[in-house]
Amino acid sequence: MPRSALLSAALLLAVAPVYAVDYVQASGSLVFAGSYQGEVFTGRFPGFLTHLGFDPAQLGTSKLDVTIPLAGATTANADYDEQMRGDAFFDAAKFAQARYTATQFRALGGNRYAADGTLSLHGVSKPVTLTFTWTPGAQPVLDGKATVNRLDFGIGSGDWADTSLIPNAIAVSAKVVFTPAK
Amino acid sequence: MTLRNSNERWGPVSQALHWLIVILILVMAYLGLTMVDLPATPHKVFVFMLHKSVGITILVLVTLRLGWRLYAGTPDRLPGIPTWQSRIASLTHAALYLLLFALPISGWVVNSSTGFPLRWFNLLNLPAIATKSESLHAISTTVHETLFWTLAVLALVHAAAAIYHHLFQRDATLARMLPRNWLRVPSPDGNQPHA
Repeated sequence: MPRSALLSAALLLAVAPVYAVDYVQASGSLVFAGSYQGEVFTGRFPGFLTHLGFDPAQLGTSKLDVTIPLAGATTANADYDEQMRGDAFFDAAKFAQARYTATQFRALGGNRYAADGTLSLHGVSKPVTLTFTWTPGAQPVLDGKATVNRLDFGIGSGDWADTSLIPNAIAVSAKVVFTPAK
Repeated sequence: MTLRNSNERWGPVSQALHWLIVILILVMAYLGLTMVDLPATPHKVFVFMLHKSVGITILVLVTLRLGWRLYAGTPDRLPGIPTWQSRIASLTHAALYLLLFALPISGWVVNSSTGFPLRWFNLLNLPAIATKSESLHAISTTVHETLFWTLAVLALVHAAAAIYHHLFQRDATLARMLPRNWLRVPSPDGNQPHA
């Protein structure tokens, strides 16, 4: 290899910004919980997909991108599911998926972080903060929680907006195991 | 005036429970027969909540009513009523009591099998008494509906018999389940009002 090529390669390495490590989702679960008529229900979003660029030492270049298909969202109760996917709630026929993206990260101490991202759901984009713990390793794990106020996104419109029937706050939890992107 | 039942008449407690349950059964029949076809909106949820709440209320009331009946006794059989009629009446009454327990309990099972909450008048959440299951839902719904139509038929027979006794037998069968002097009952021998 010519000297000049080696030199330029070395130079390039020296000046290039250090990017966070890119990860893809190896496995994970995305679940939600709310209450209906005073009883807790839980559900999950099968088929969600996470791309993450993250390095605790490089929060400035970290980024998170999650796509969440809604047509398969399920509470394991067929009556609830039909209603939830229907036009008064997710309207999955029209808004097939939700997306959460974040580029602003904060260290909360220890292995805890917060992502101040944007949730696009049901045709509405609003800020939602995800707080999570990051367990580094060959297959790092993100374990996070967020609260989504359903009415901010028009989920459960009209008479379903009644929060004595379904409270506004829906708790969302994610646990994702990552593997480095090839 | 005693609250208990006398040899001649039902007392005010038994009367109140009897007629309150009559009204609630009519309300339940109306709610139950109309609510299923409502569009899936919170209004439907509200109507179902009412149906379930009134059903649980009937279950409590019929328990009180039977307890009171055991404590306060029953009026004697009216003179002049043949034994076979009295036996059929007793069987009908026993079946009606049984149905008043079985209908709310089967409805509670229907609700439990769907996994829906049971919030009594939006005040108090009651537990499920059966596991969530589609097959149980199908069976219990059929049972609930069959019990309802059985109750409807028996209650009509029961009411028709009471009216028949009042109008044609001219005895106190109906009058003694009502407050004194609400109905004029001829004495068995003729024209003297007995009430």
